Amino acid sequence: MMTRAAYLRTTHLSRAAALALAAAVMLVPANVLPVLSTNTGGMARTDTIMSGIVGLWHDGMWAIAAIVFAASILIPLLKLVGLAWLLIAVRRRSTHQRRGLTKLYNVLDLIGRWSMLDVFLVAFLAGAVQFGALATIEPRAGIVAFAAAVVLTVLATDAFEPKLLWADAAARPRHPEVAS
Amino acid sequence: MSTALDAPRISRRHSLPLIWIVPLIALAVGGWMVFREFRHRGPEITIEFPEGKGVEARKTAVEYSGVTVGTVLAVDLKEDLNGVRVTVRLEKNAASLAREGAQFWIVHPEIGLTGVRGIETLFTGARINVRPGKGEPATEFRGLPKAPPLENVDDGRAFVLQADRLGSMSPGAPVFYREVKVGVVETSRLDHDAASVLIRIRIKTPYIELVRTHTRFWNAGGVSFKMNLLGAEVKSTSLESLFTGGVAFATPDAIAPAAPDGTLFTLHPEMDKDWLKWQPRIRIIPPDEAPDPTSLRGPLAPLVKP
Repeated sequence: MMTRAAYLRTTHLSRAAALALAAAVMLVPANVLPVLSTNTGGMARTDTIMSGIVGLWHDGMWAIAAIVFAASILIPLLKLVGLAWLLIAVRRRSTHQRRGLTKLYNVLDLIGRWSMLDVFLVAFLAGAVQFGALATIEPRAGIVAFAAAVVLTVLATDAFEPKLLWADAAARPRHPEVAS
Repeated sequence: MSTALDAPRISRRHSLPLIWIVPLIALAVGGWMVFREFRHRGPEITIEFPEGKGVEARKTAVEYSGVTVGTVLAVDLKEDLNGVRVTVRLEKNAASLAREGAQFWIVHPEIGLTGVRGIETLFTGARINVRPGKGEPATEFRGLPKAPPLENVDDGRAFVLQADRLGSMSPGAPVFYREVKVGVVETSRLDHDAASVLIRIRIKTPYIELVRTHTRFWNAGGVSFKMNLLGAEVKSTSLESLFTGGVAFATPDAIAPAAPDGTLFTLHPEMDKDWLKWQPRIRIIPPDEAPDPTSLRGPLAPLVKP
């Protein structure tokens, strides 16, 4: 038996969950495969996201390494974990911490776009650094997977309805402030 | 008419699998991407070198015939501190290079009298070159301390020349027959009793028939300069041999059997005028690098083996 609200709940939930799962799947090739190969003066190297961060760190560019680490590894991961948390909370019809979870959703929505930093960086470098034999930068398969993961996460966040957290709030005469 | 109770159940069944196609597609695409990347991965091999100057992990390439066939994964010091161990990931299609007897060496820019070698490594850093082995597939190799004498040494026929002194002979110096380059000097060393110098030369396959058991070799290197009352005469076989030294040989008219591999000859310091008059007719297999064969038609044609 299903009410319209319950139907919407299931659709939104499964849509968000499916997209989040797809994003999680794409994160694997995004991190395993090289995202960029550079060829400067014949010195060729191919980097995955992590090896690029390690390289930056070794070169003494700690701040940039930290930013890239945050934008490319930490944020996508946190987003997916946060999304999973929200989905589980809705699925369990948990009324616990609704307020905090709504805030979490807003934060996830906000930080999602920053993950595209990497993709823009690679796209920019690949476009800008084409000096033929001297230096070329080429995007590799990993960056496509990474972009797909970021886009899927954004879509999953969009598909998720924060309203679902409060689905039964109207039905029950209980104040959310009290619940949290 | 269906009731309001039935309709959602049906649409629920439909809506559920539809969106779950997305992670399935992601799995398929992601799996394919990873598979495609790893499909090209060949075996991992380790090579021990006496020194690893210029070899860098994940940067230095392994090349064969000028094509990259692998990348250095790691460079470690050996436990006994007596050299370095280089770990290399070969590409899949180059896996058959890693067989017993394969030779690896590190290429540095080298500027010598015999020419400039590895000049591109000035910009690219060192790289590792390989000459494939013929034995069983192997994963551990001992690298050469320096580049082996010359490429493609495995064809032709080698002879040893015994000389009083080395002169200006250096590896890679040309060997001439009628001032045509038919071979190279490979290596040289003192004889065991140090009474003479042994020089190993290699004649290219098309010309091995030219060397007979009674062939005479002489040192054609450097420049001979003669001056007398009638004038001065400067003689040099070629510009190349002027710097690197060189060997020339002539075979007498009377036919003797072809000299087998490794035959020892005496290297005369100078040639005899008579040797230049010898004109034995010996059939040779024309090499690929011969001038345009059409230009050889005519009087030369009968000498060319079909």
